[in-house]
Amino acid sequence: MNRFNFPDLGIGVGLRTVHYGHILGSQPDVDWFEALSENYMDTGGRPRYVLEKIAEQYPIVLHGVSLSIGGTDPLDFDYLCKLKSLARTVNARWISDHLCWTGVSGRNVHDLLPMPYNAESLRHTAERVRVVSDYLETPLVVENPSSYVEFATSTMTEWDFLASLAEESDCGLLLDVNNIYVSSFNHSFDPNVYVDAIPADRVVQVHLAGHQNHGTHIIDTHNDFVIEEVWKLYGRACARTGDVSTLLEWDADIPDFPTVHAEAKKAEAFREAEVAYAAV
Amino acid sequence: MPLSDLALAPLQEWMQAVVTHPSDVYEAAESVELAVDDVILPSQTLQPIQRIGIYHGMYMLRMIEALTVDYAAVAQFLGEHAFEHLVREYVQQFPSRSYTFNRLGDSLPEYIASSTWKRKTFLSDLAKLELAMTQVFEEEEAEALPADAIASIAPEEVADARIIPIPALRLLALDYDANEAFQAFRDETPMKPRRQKSWLAVHRRDYSVYRMPLTREAYVFLECLAARQTIGSAIETFQARFRRFPEQAELFTWFRDWSAAGLFTAIEVG
Repeated sequence: MNRFNFPDLGIGVGLRTVHYGHILGSQPDVDWFEALSENYMDTGGRPRYVLEKIAEQYPIVLHGVSLSIGGTDPLDFDYLCKLKSLARTVNARWISDHLCWTGVSGRNVHDLLPMPYNAESLRHTAERVRVVSDYLETPLVVENPSSYVEFATSTMTEWDFLASLAEESDCGLLLDVNNIYVSSFNHSFDPNVYVDAIPADRVVQVHLAGHQNHGTHIIDTHNDFVIEEVWKLYGRACARTGDVSTLLEWDADIPDFPTVHAEAKKAEAFREAEVAYAAV
Repeated sequence: MPLSDLALAPLQEWMQAVVTHPSDVYEAAESVELAVDDVILPSQTLQPIQRIGIYHGMYMLRMIEALTVDYAAVAQFLGEHAFEHLVREYVQQFPSRSYTFNRLGDSLPEYIASSTWKRKTFLSDLAKLELAMTQVFEEEEAEALPADAIASIAPEEVADARIIPIPALRLLALDYDANEAFQAFRDETPMKPRRQKSWLAVHRRDYSVYRMPLTREAYVFLECLAARQTIGSAIETFQARFRRFPEQAELFTWFRDWSAAGLFTAIEVG
C-alpha cells in the first residue's frame, strides 16, 4: 500500500471513445477506468454523459496531459477549477498528470515536453506540485514521461529528480514502466536502476503500453501490445510496490475492447508472481 | 551565454520556438539564437538536431491530425497535401492557446475566408458547417420542450413570450450549399461546390448532431428567437425584412417542426 492510502484498484483500461458502445452495452468485467481529463472538462455532450454513466459503475481515475506542471507560465486556475469539478462529479480516486511542460507564452504545443533535470527545475516544479495539490485538495500523482532529448543543463538523472520531487512536494507517483523502457533505450541507461531507485511507497499507479522501435530510437506511440522487456520491468516494479493499481494505455490503432482488456489482464500473472516472490 | 546560465524559462521558450517552427527542423534551428548542439546532448545513435527533430515532426502531425478530425470534409475536399499546407499556415497565425484541442480549429473558417486560397468562400462555408457541428456536439445538454408546449401558451401571452433555444443550436447563413457538399462527403461521393445561398440549423438531440435546412424566412424568424426576442418582436423583425407578416400556416409549421426537433428548452412569458 502506498503512503497516501490510495487503494489498489486492480487492473484497469484507459477509456477511449471507440469503446464507449461496448462498455455501455456489455458492462465488461474491468476493475477500473482511467479517463483523459481534458476530453471531459469542457463538454456537455456525449463524452461527458458517457463518462458519468461509466463512473456510476466503475472507479474512475483522471489523467491529464495539459497541466504543464513543469512549465514556466503561471498555473492555469481556470483549468484547475474545471479539473476539480470534474473529479468531484465522477468521484475520481486520484488525479494524475505528467512531469513535463506543454507550452509557454500562452501557447499549448499539446506534447509532453521534457524537463532539464537540475536544482532550478526541481525547485520550480516542486513548488507548483504543492500548489496544485493544495488547490485540488488531494496529492497530485505525477507520471514519469518518455523523452527523446537530454539537456546539457541537466545535472541529475530522471529517477533522482523524480524521487526528489516526490519527497519535496509530497506527491504520489504514476510509474509508467513503458516510458522508463522507452527513455532507457533513447538515453542508454539501465531501466532496472530507474525502477529500483523510485520510492516504492509513493507509487500509486503503474502504466503499461506498447511503443514503436525505429532502431535508432523508440517513440512512445501506445499503438501495440506490451513487449516482454516492459512486462519484466513491470514485474520488478510490483516486487517493490506490492499490489498496485495498474492500467494499460492504447491510443492509436486501437483494437476492439476485449483485445485491449485481455492485454491488460496479462498484468495479473506478473503481479501475483512478483508479489509472491517478494514475500518469500 | 554559458549553458549554466540557461534558466528554465528561456530554455522552454527556445525549445518551443524550434518545435513549432513551420519549416523543417534545420531551418528551425537556424532561426533561434542558441545552437542546438549547445542545448541538447547527442545520444549513441542520434545527433542533437535529430533528437529535437522528433518533437518538431510530431508537433505538426498532431496539429494536422486534430484539425482533420474537426474538419474532415474540408480535408477531403482539399486533399492531403493542400490540407497540410493549410494547417501549417493556420497554426502559425492561430496556435493552440487552450488546454484542449477542441478550441484549436475555432478560427479556421475566418482564416480561410480572409486567405487567398482558391474556392475560399466554399471552403469557409464548409468549415463553418463543420465548426458548428463540433460546437453543437460539445454543448451543454438541455431538456427539450414537449412538442405541445408552445401551443399551450395563452393567446394573450404569445406576443410577449420568449422561446428559449437549447444551447446545442447553431444557425448558419451560407453563400454555398455546404450542407449538400457535406452530405456528399458523408455518402462518400464527390463534393461539388454549388454557389447557392443556403440556411441551416445545426442542432443536437439525444447526443446526436443533426443538420436541418431552413428557408430564408424560417432562418430569419428562428434567428430572432435564438437572439431572445419575443415572438411579437420576431414577427416585427420578419415584417421589416420581408415586407409581410409570417402567415399563420408558416408559423404553425415552423413551431411544429422545431419543437419536434427539440430546438427549444423553455418558454419565458411576461
